[in-house]
Amino acid sequence: MHEASIALSLIDVASEVLRENGGARASALTVRVGAWSSVVPEALTAAFPACAQGTPLEGARLSVVLVPGVGECPTHGPVTLDVRRGLRCPACGAPTPTLLQGDELELDEIELAEPELEDS
Amino acid sequence: MTTTQAPRIVTVRQNILKANDHTAAGNRAAFRAAGVRAINLASSPGAGKTALLERTLRDLAGSVRMGVAVGDLATENDAARLRQWGSQAEQIVTGTVCHLDADMVQNILPRFDLDALDVLFLENVGNLVCPSSYDLGEAARAVLISTTEGEDKPLKYPTMFNTADVVVITKMDIADAVGFDRDLCRENIDRARPGVPVIELSSRSGAGLDEWFAFVRGESV
Repeated sequence: MHEASIALSLIDVASEVLRENGGARASALTVRVGAWSSVVPEALTAAFPACAQGTPLEGARLSVVLVPGVGECPTHGPVTLDVRRGLRCPACGAPTPTLLQGDELELDEIELAEPELEDS
Repeated sequence: MTTTQAPRIVTVRQNILKANDHTAAGNRAAFRAAGVRAINLASSPGAGKTALLERTLRDLAGSVRMGVAVGDLATENDAARLRQWGSQAEQIVTGTVCHLDADMVQNILPRFDLDALDVLFLENVGNLVCPSSYDLGEAARAVLISTTEGEDKPLKYPTMFNTADVVVITKMDIADAVGFDRDLCRENIDRARPGVPVIELSSRSGAGLDEWFAFVRGESV
């Protein structure tokens, strides 16, 4: 269970992006988690709200997009892999040593919150 | 009709662990500058990381200058175990954190005289999940699996095995007694990381250690 550590790193990266874009707070963010990233999306979304407390990400909606593994089969080209079968082409069983995608652990998008209007 | 400003969406596409990777790159540069080969050892608890290191420190004491940074959630027991063989061993107590990260390694490095070392072992916390995400700045990553574990572990923990530079099967001296299916285990390792070198050894009997020592020295893999 290292999703709390991952959530804290995510908040650091997101806070930096907010600063660079002049946003005070975020209302939503999307992360891409590869099937080969060893991060469990449910654990990450469970850990995030508590980790975000007191940061510009507090209350932000976290969406996790699971990215399937894709390997390169010498015969069948890019093929979607099944994590339970390892790095093998599902059609012919040939080894597909290189992941074309599926090891991502990245902050994809942030939606900046509108500044709250001051009541006069 | 009043116009409301659409929410601003910023496309980021940044690695969440970029801060760790940045620190790891610094560690790697420090190791390279000092001519130190850093080896990250990962396995589940009880696979025999410390036993293999004890044997390595003992057998290579005269020929390779070695140090160990060992991570555990609690206790300094492993560092004390390792020090008896004459090499410097420093404990990283990680508290509640289930893995070593590049910052922890960076923080312990000042305790070592890197110029006086050939090899620095980074013994990770016993865990096949979390350590896989964290680059420490190592030159090579060794993942251990013992004959008492299920042969399907490489498929259950694909990320850890897929980041291995070498996979070490430990406790081969009791393989027959525990009904270890060698061929199945090797097939699953190859599914998790096609083509990865596999070393079978026993820290107790000494079988297979020469191959491991060649890896430690950087002569193979």
